[in-house]
Amino acid sequence: MSDTPPPFVTLISNDGFEFIVSRDAACVAGTIKKMLDPTSKFFEATTGRCNLSTINGVVLEKVCEYLYYNLKNKNASDVPDMEIPPELCLELLMAADYLHV
Amino acid sequence: MLAGRGRNKIRPPRRGLGTGDAVDFDSMWQVLEASLREIHTKNASKLSFEEQYRNAYKLVLKKRGETLYERVKDFEERWLTNEVRPRIIAVAAPVLSLFDTTSSTIATVNEKRLAGERLLRALKQAWEDHNLCMSMTTDVLMYMDRVYCKDFRKPSIFTASMGQFRDCVLRTPVHADNQVSVSQVLNAVILDQVRMDREGDMIDKSLLKSCVYMLEGLYETEEEEEHLKLYLTSFEPEFLRASEEFYRNEGSTLLLDADAGTFCRHAKKRVSEEEDRCRSTLSPLTLRKIKTVVETELIKNHLREVIALEGSGVKYMLDNDRTSDLAMIFDLSARVDPQKTELKKAVQSRIVEQGTDVNNATVAATQAPAKPSAPTGDKADSEDKAPEKPINLQTNAAIGWVDGVLRLKDKYDNFLTEAFQSDQGLQTALTRSFTDFINAFERLSEFVSLFFDENMKKGIKGKTENEVDALLDKGITLLRYIQDKDMFERYYKKHLSRRLLMKRSISMDAERQMISKMKMEVGNTFTQRIEAMFRDMAVSVDLTSQYKRHVAQLGDPDPQRADIEVNVLTSTMWPLEAMAPSYNEGEDRPRCNFPPQIERVKQGFEKFYLDKHSGRKLTWQANMGTADLRAYFHEMKGKKTRELNVSTYAMIILLLFNDLPPGQFLSCEEIQAQTNIPINELTRNLQSLAVASKTQVLTKKPMSKDVKLSDKFYFNEQFYSQFQRVKIGVVTSGNRVEDPIERSETEKKNNDTRAGSIEAAIVRIMKQRKELNHQKLIAEVIQQLTARFKPDINMVKKRIESLIEREYLERIDDTEPAAYRYLA
Repeated sequence: MSDTPPPFVTLISNDGFEFIVSRDAACVAGTIKKMLDPTSKFFEATTGRCNLSTINGVVLEKVCEYLYYNLKNKNASDVPDMEIPPELCLELLMAADYLHV
Repeated sequence: MLAGRGRNKIRPPRRGLGTGDAVDFDSMWQVLEASLREIHTKNASKLSFEEQYRNAYKLVLKKRGETLYERVKDFEERWLTNEVRPRIIAVAAPVLSLFDTTSSTIATVNEKRLAGERLLRALKQAWEDHNLCMSMTTDVLMYMDRVYCKDFRKPSIFTASMGQFRDCVLRTPVHADNQVSVSQVLNAVILDQVRMDREGDMIDKSLLKSCVYMLEGLYETEEEEEHLKLYLTSFEPEFLRASEEFYRNEGSTLLLDADAGTFCRHAKKRVSEEEDRCRSTLSPLTLRKIKTVVETELIKNHLREVIALEGSGVKYMLDNDRTSDLAMIFDLSARVDPQKTELKKAVQSRIVEQGTDVNNATVAATQAPAKPSAPTGDKADSEDKAPEKPINLQTNAAIGWVDGVLRLKDKYDNFLTEAFQSDQGLQTALTRSFTDFINAFERLSEFVSLFFDENMKKGIKGKTENEVDALLDKGITLLRYIQDKDMFERYYKKHLSRRLLMKRSISMDAERQMISKMKMEVGNTFTQRIEAMFRDMAVSVDLTSQYKRHVAQLGDPDPQRADIEVNVLTSTMWPLEAMAPSYNEGEDRPRCNFPPQIERVKQGFEKFYLDKHSGRKLTWQANMGTADLRAYFHEMKGKKTRELNVSTYAMIILLLFNDLPPGQFLSCEEIQAQTNIPINELTRNLQSLAVASKTQVLTKKPMSKDVKLSDKFYFNEQFYSQFQRVKIGVVTSGNRVEDPIERSETEKKNNDTRAGSIEAAIVRIMKQRKELNHQKLIAEVIQQLTARFKPDINMVKKRIESLIEREYLERIDDTEPAAYRYLA
């Protein structure tokens, strides 16, 4: 990999959806951050593609939304709550635990 | 994540991770173990982080975290023991043998160094690898660290593996049979490298630094407490010990073959070197400690010797103005001893030495000519002007002394600001030593006053206001050191009165400035009398002009009438006894007979004055005045008149010759009888009129230096002077150093005054306190009087006795310690 890694990475859900997100947003999630850490030369770090086989497309979409939401409001106060459909709650919680968000 | 707002039914996840598929621990571990191995052999790029992470994640979710943790630890330990340790030991062993056997085999420095560097490099490599691998492993096992380790309060896998590195690599003995561990060898190597660096060899600092980093990154326990870093526990003490030894040796060798300046420069260099080393090579944690070591070993333990070093120590520096060296010494002393005792002592003793030199030189200068002056009475003709010489010499000596002291003071003030950073402690030390040696010189009050006198009379001529100011300030600094200020006041008044009455002072402004300066320095009471003297002078000027107007109004057109200028002096303020030292106080002052024309004027003034101020008494001090005469010399070429400026007595004498037919003479006895001038004044005036070569208005027979009662005096018709105005000074009328008799008299008088002030102080205190014990009374008296002089305790005791006798005080019976009561 070059010294400056590409600014966008691809997150892939277990059902094959690919989400192309900015590296900054992706790195909000602790697990993805480590995954992409250029010093440890894992497969994901070299290719910039992360297979997240525990998360399906719907959830991952919401996760990506949250990643950007978090990035945007990082230093802001009085942030409005994000819209979460109740049926996704549990799965999102598990994904959050897995991704260390 | 944020919870949803609705209270809708929450659907179960579509596919449960924890319950769905049974996880086979062993197969998953095998996958993990394989990938860990890949990581350690640096083949991670083929691995999917996500896969490893997911495996670990699942295992932890399955509550197999503990097993996983133990397995990973196991794996690491095996890896370190089997793969890393042999490599390290392979390079450590030769180093150990080299270090062990330095005495027997000839291991060249180079060999040792190379072996050492090999070990360092290998360790650095191993450490970096281990760090990298472990950080990757930790990343993969992040979920385990986060969930399992936190819940069960286990050290994270990273910390645990660091501990393993410490145990398996650093703490293993190099040889199975002896106890020397790798870390000990490492310490020895690092110390060796540091030693080489100190001796000026080049070393690989970054290599050293990374090894130190390793030691800093490792801890004694798994808790990673800050003070239990391996660096602090194992390396640092060794390092400090070695440094101590190094600097102790260096200090003693340096002391043997270097001078103080070099030593200081070296010590300073060493300190900054060590600071640099701590920053660039070792850990900043050691900075303070190693500095202390260097300071103690190199500076503190040797400072005394350095300061005292013969031929180059502080003494030498002070003598040769080595300001930068002194600044260095100061800096070093300040490091180890905030009081700077040693330096202070050295400087003080040097000041006192030099001060004593100045004192002795002056004493020698005043005594050397004093001896030949003693026998001059017998062989007067052999030495021309001998009586004047010692006087001038002594005055010069006095001024020389003041100059010497001032030079010394300037010099040390300079050192203080340039080298000693105006340090408070040193300043007081300097002041104290100056006070010591200045006060050790017994004639200081007189000399300082003479210094002022000389400057007022001559010194400040042609100087700008600022220069005068600086000069006076210098004098004032000396005054500050004087303990017996009353002595100084006495002399100053005496000298001042001469200046004022004889109009010898160049600038009245300077005089006033001086007084205001003294006032600031010593206080109001001190200058009160001196100011009164000035007031008298001003009043007298007014009075004289008033009198002249008065005379003009009287309309007494006597062409023969002499003009008069009178200074009316308040007798208590002026040191009259000092001006006419030959009378004892009780004795009645003999009145001299003024010639009639003068007597008339005198009476006129007396009448005028007593009309204005009734009840006052005027005493005429003929010995202080001067007179202008116009004399007519028959034999002189050109203009035959000359104006003579003479003392009052000389005027009286010369007027006698007015009535004398030419060629006649008066004997000394006759003059005395006619004028009633005291005999010693008479001889002095006759001397200046008849003996001094340029002002021989009279001739004397026989021609000799001394005036005897039987000597005959003629008016000198052959007198010639190229000047229109001739000033005939009276011998020894100027301010000069006192001879021993005068001195003892002054001292006696001063002691009398002191007795008075002491009694006054005692009475003041006792009046206030009513009862007081002896010690306290003495302490208070001394405290009250130190501004003016340093009272002698015996004198205070005598004064108390005398007050008791006179029933101002009484002893309180049966008290221990003795106490007194004030009797109103």
